[in-house]
Order: sequence, then structure tokens, then C-alpha cells
Amino acid sequence: MTMIQDTALTYVFAVCRPSGERTAAALGGLAGVGPPAPVRTLAMGPLTAVVQDVPAADYAEEALRQRLSDRAELERCARAHHEVITAAMAAAPTVPLPLATLYRGDERTREALRAREDSLLTALDRITGRVEWGVKVYALAGQPATPASAPGAAAATGRAYLEQIRSRRRGREERQGAALRAAERVDTVVRGLAVAARRLRLHGAEVTGPRRTHVLNAAYLMDRGRERQLRAALASLGRDEEAVEIELSGPWAPYSFADGGTPP
Amino acid sequence: MTGARVDLDQEAMGRDLVALVLTIVELLRQLMERQALRRIDAGDLTDEQVERIGTTLMLLDRRMAELREQHGLEPEDLNLDLGPLGTLLPRD
Repeated sequence: MTMIQDTALTYVFAVCRPSGERTAAALGGLAGVGPPAPVRTLAMGPLTAVVQDVPAADYAEEALRQRLSDRAELERCARAHHEVITAAMAAAPTVPLPLATLYRGDERTREALRAREDSLLTALDRITGRVEWGVKVYALAGQPATPASAPGAAAATGRAYLEQIRSRRRGREERQGAALRAAERVDTVVRGLAVAARRLRLHGAEVTGPRRTHVLNAAYLMDRGRERQLRAALASLGRDEEAVEIELSGPWAPYSFADGGTPP
Repeated sequence: MTGARVDLDQEAMGRDLVALVLTIVELLRQLMERQALRRIDAGDLTDEQVERIGTTLMLLDRRMAELREQHGLEPEDLNLDLGPLGTLLPRD
């Protein structure tokens, strides 16, 4: 039995610019990650944190690890986290913090965020008036180049069989190359509309399904007014690029740019 | 803690094991095919040797297809997702 068992932890969702009562009003009625404590604001000089008290028994290290390794519970937490950030973002410029950012009480929260104050203020400057868009590009499973090279088609001789493998391999390499080049073209166009861009990890077959391969997973920070231009650019790319499928998601809170981001 | 996280279904486990073993065999088979193509490209095989290697690989491919069929597995079942490294075997 340690001391923290009895105290509450402070769960921090995001950091915003102070907006008087607007942020507090926008958070009213949200359940957050764990009622009954309300989602509230915590003022600290030039920043306002969006926080919630959570029972230490449910969120201390071991309990938290178990919680986040349970898929359904992880999803619930992620959705609650996202809901609070979206509400805060509507009221004032907001830098989202990672899921499960926890401190032992308000004082520790203030100390920890004060230590990062400069970088948080820089991030706030960067994201004000801007939103994040996600662009994913997938290579589609290819059709065999010729019916003769289809898997399973019987070859007459050993040599013919080897030629079959060779052309299948070449076809696969060409398709992969074409998909990667298409992904670079998509990235170049979208980067041109963005103020910052970031490449994220590609998803494996477990997420994409067996019929397509993930070749680009990127996040772009963009001025709010760019949406129509972005959609038009992607629609045109979608017509030109036949080897790939392009997916757009957003607008998101700038999750990928909470620490700045590289210039395009 | 919920008790339903791991489903200990013996039949499914047996099938998974067969799939894993066949995946490894398939990996070796594809490596042999690659090596054969490389040696042909290097030009150090006679026509007769090329024909024999090709025939052997073709028969292995057929045998693999039969084994898959016996165990109700599709070609795409014989693969491992290595996360950020991609998949063990190339996907078409």
C-alpha cells in the first residue's frame, strides 16, 4: 500500500491559450476519461491546461498498463481523450498531449508543464488557426501482367517455370516502384499546401487488410482555409494515379505537431 | 481481469502450427527460386541443369499447393506480418 493509492492523479488532455471562460464552458458536461470528476481547466500563467482528476487506484502504473493493453478500454480512453481535445480546440488554440499524460496532482502538473513552457508556447504559435490532415496512400494488389504468369498456371518445362517466376517478380517490383513514386507525388503536392509535414509509421497487413499495401502515412499542418484546395488537389491526384488509393482524414487537432514539426 | 482473452481452441492451434511450418517451408522454397534465378543470370549453368532445377522447383511449388489445399489454407495465409518490417514473404 503506497500513498498514491488514496490520492487522485491529474490527467492532462491538452494545453491551450487562456480564453477566459470560453474553454471552461466548452468542457461543461464532458465525461472525460473517468467520471465522476469533471473535466476542468487549470490556469498557469500564459497557458491553460485541460485536466481531470482520476482515481490513483485506476490509473497508477500497473492499473494503467492493464487498462491500455485491453483493446476495448484503450479505444474508450482514446475516444474520450479525443472528444475533450476537440471541444477545447473549438474554444481556443490547443496543443493536444499524448494519451494518458498523468501527474501526481495539480502542483506537479504545473511544475512539469512550466518546464516545457517555451516549447508549448512555440507549438501554440505554430498551430493557431491551423488544423491537421491525414493522408494515406495504399498500393492496390496487382493483377498478374499476363494470364500465363498467373500463379498456379502450369508451365510446360522447367525453363518455362523459371521464366514465369522471373516475370512475376519483375511485375511485383514494377508495381511497388510505381506505387512508391505515386506516393511521393501525392506527398509533394500536399506538402505544397501545408506549413509543416510529418511522415508517420506505415501500417501492416493487420490494419490495411491483405488486398493493399500501405505506402504513405503522412500528417500535414494546414491553414484552416485550405480545405477546399486540398480536396480538389487530392481529387485530381486520385484521377491521375491509377496504381494507388488515396485516403484523406481530418480535420484533426494537431496531434502530430504538438512539438513543432519540420518545415515542408 | 477477463478470462476470455486467450481462446484455447486445440483445433485452431493445430491449424496455426501447420500454417507456421508451411510458411517457413514456403520461405525456403522462395529463397531457392531466387538463388536459382541468380545462378542462371550469372550464366554458369548448362541448359540441362537449368531445365532440371526449373522442374524441381515447379514440382515443389505443386506439392506446396497440395499441402495448402489439404489444410484449407490460402497462399496469403502463409505469411507473417513483421510490423514495421513488412511481411516475411512478398505480397502480390
